[in-house]
Amino acid sequence: MRTWPVTLTGALAAAGPLAVVGLLAALAGAHAQPAPATSADPGACEPPAAAGQRLAAGGVQAWWRAEPAPLRVGQPFALVVTLCPAQTQLLRVDAHMPEHRHGMNYRPTLQPLGGGRWRVEGLLWHMPGRWELVLEAGLDEQKARLTQTVLLR
Amino acid sequence: MSAAFKSAGVRVLALCLALSAALSAALPALAATAAPALLDFTPDERARILAHGPWPPTVPQDRSNRAERRPAAVAWGRALFFDTRLSAHGRLSCASCHQPARSFQDARNIPDLMETATPGTSATLHAGQRNTPSLLGTVHQRWWGWDGAHDSLWAASLAPLLASAEMGHTLAGLAARVRGAADLAAGYQRAHRQPVPEDDEQVAVGVAKALAAWQATLRLPRTPFDDFRDALARHDLRAAARYPAAAQRGLRLFVGEGRCFFCHTGPGFSNGEFADIGMPFFVPGGVDAGRHQGLLQLQSSAYTRLGRHNDVGAADPRAVATRHVVLEPRHFGEFKVPGLRQLIRSAPYMHNGSLATLQDVVQHYSALNEERLHADGERILRPLHLDAGQRADLEAFLRSLSR
Repeated sequence: MRTWPVTLTGALAAAGPLAVVGLLAALAGAHAQPAPATSADPGACEPPAAAGQRLAAGGVQAWWRAEPAPLRVGQPFALVVTLCPAQTQLLRVDAHMPEHRHGMNYRPTLQPLGGGRWRVEGLLWHMPGRWELVLEAGLDEQKARLTQTVLLR
Repeated sequence: MSAAFKSAGVRVLALCLALSAALSAALPALAATAAPALLDFTPDERARILAHGPWPPTVPQDRSNRAERRPAAVAWGRALFFDTRLSAHGRLSCASCHQPARSFQDARNIPDLMETATPGTSATLHAGQRNTPSLLGTVHQRWWGWDGAHDSLWAASLAPLLASAEMGHTLAGLAARVRGAADLAAGYQRAHRQPVPEDDEQVAVGVAKALAAWQATLRLPRTPFDDFRDALARHDLRAAARYPAAAQRGLRLFVGEGRCFFCHTGPGFSNGEFADIGMPFFVPGGVDAGRHQGLLQLQSSAYTRLGRHNDVGAADPRAVATRHVVLEPRHFGEFKVPGLRQLIRSAPYMHNGSLATLQDVVQHYSALNEERLHADGERILRPLHLDAGQRADLEAFLRSLSR
C-alpha cells in the first residue's frame, strides 16, 4: 500500500534514468514521512533518524529533509540528504517549476558530512506552486536522477 | 381618574405594540440591504489570503551591522539622514529624495538630480533612470535597489553617498568630513563605541551602518487588509465581513485568476526577487539591464555580506543568499518585485516611475504584451483582460493595503 502517489518513470543512466516522483500535498518538511519500499530499492538501507522524504532509483536511496521546516516561499533553506549506499556521491541538486519554465535564482552547494550524509545549502523557492526537486547521485560510475514534486503553498 | 389613567395606559401599550410590529417587519429588510457580506472564499483562497500575514512580522536583527539596534546609532543615523554634509557639494541629504512627508520617496518618476547626471558610465546611466523607492519597511528586504545590487541596508545606504550622480563623495572625502566636524566625530564614537578610525572605508561604512540603523526603524503600519486577514484567521466572520465587498472581490482576483500572488507573496506582498513584467528597458542613451547589471555590481562590490565589513563574517546567516545567487542571461530586464503596502502613498509606480496611478498599474496588467513577455519561455504573466468592474475591484483591494 502506498501512502502517497509514487510513480517510477525511468531507469539509471547506464540502466536507463530512473526517476521517482512523489506529490506532496503539503509543505515539504512539515509532514515528513518515509515512503514505502519499491521494487527498485536495494533493501539494505535503514532510514536515518529524522529521515524526511525518501526517494529511490536504480540502487540508490535518498532521504531528504529541509532546514528550516516547513518551507516558506521566498525564504532560503538547506537540505540534509542521506544517501545509501553510503559511498554514493551527491553530484547536483536543483529545482524548477515546470509550469512556469523557470528554476531557482540560486545554485546550491553540496557539502559531504561523511557516512552518506550531505548538507545542501543555498536553495530558495521564490514562488508558491509546484516545484520539482532534482537530486543527481553517482554510484559505480553510473548516474541516478531522483526527482520529487513538492507543492509549496 | 383611575379609569382615565387606565385608558391612557392601554392606548400607549397599543401604540408600542404597533410600533414594535412595524419595526419587526422593517428590520429584516434593513439587514438585507445594510449588513456587510463575506464572499464564500474557498479553502485554497483562504490559505492564500492567510499567507499574507500576520502583520507586522518579527524582524530578525541584521547581524552584519552590530550597531543596528543600538540607540546611539539609531539617533546618529537619523541626524545624518537629514544632514547635507553627507553630500560632497553640500546641497543634498538623504531626505532630499527620501522625504518623510512622502513616505520616504519623492513622488517623482525620476529624481531631478539624476536626470541631470552626466552620462558616460554605466553607474550614472542606470542611476538616472529609476524611481526613488520608499524606505518604509525597507528592513524586510533581502536585496536592495531596483536591481538588487546590494545585499544589506547598510550597503544600499553607502551607494548613494559615493555615487557621482547623487551625493558625490569619495571615501577619503566622506571620512575627512566626519573627522573634521566635532559633532560628526562624536556621533561616530557614540554609535560605534570607538573613535573615528584611520581607515577611510571603515569610516564611510560606519556612516552607512548608522543610516541603516535608523532606516530599519521605519516600519509599515497595519492596514484594513490585516484586520480582515486576522479576522479570517480567527474565524470571526462578522468582523471579516466588514472588509469592503469590492476589496474582497479584488482580493479574490489577486489570489486567483489574476495570479498576482505568485510574485507578490507573503506578509510583505513580495517574494523579494526580480521579474520582467513587460516594462520597457530601453532608456535614453542605452539600456537598463536591471537585475543583470545589479548582479554584476554585487559580484564586484567590496560592500557585501561576503566582505570584510560584515560584522560577523561567515557567521552571518543571511550571507547564504549572496553566496549562492547566480547571474544568468534571463535576469536581463528584471527588476525588484516591490512590496505592495502603503501603495497609495508611493506613486508613481514601477522601476522607471512611468505609471502615475494605481489605475494605470492595473491597466498595465490587464493589457500585457504576452509575446514580449514570453520570449524566454517563462509563462507566469498573461494579460488579464479585466472589465471595468474587475479593475475597480482590484484597485480597491490594493488600496486596502494602505493606511
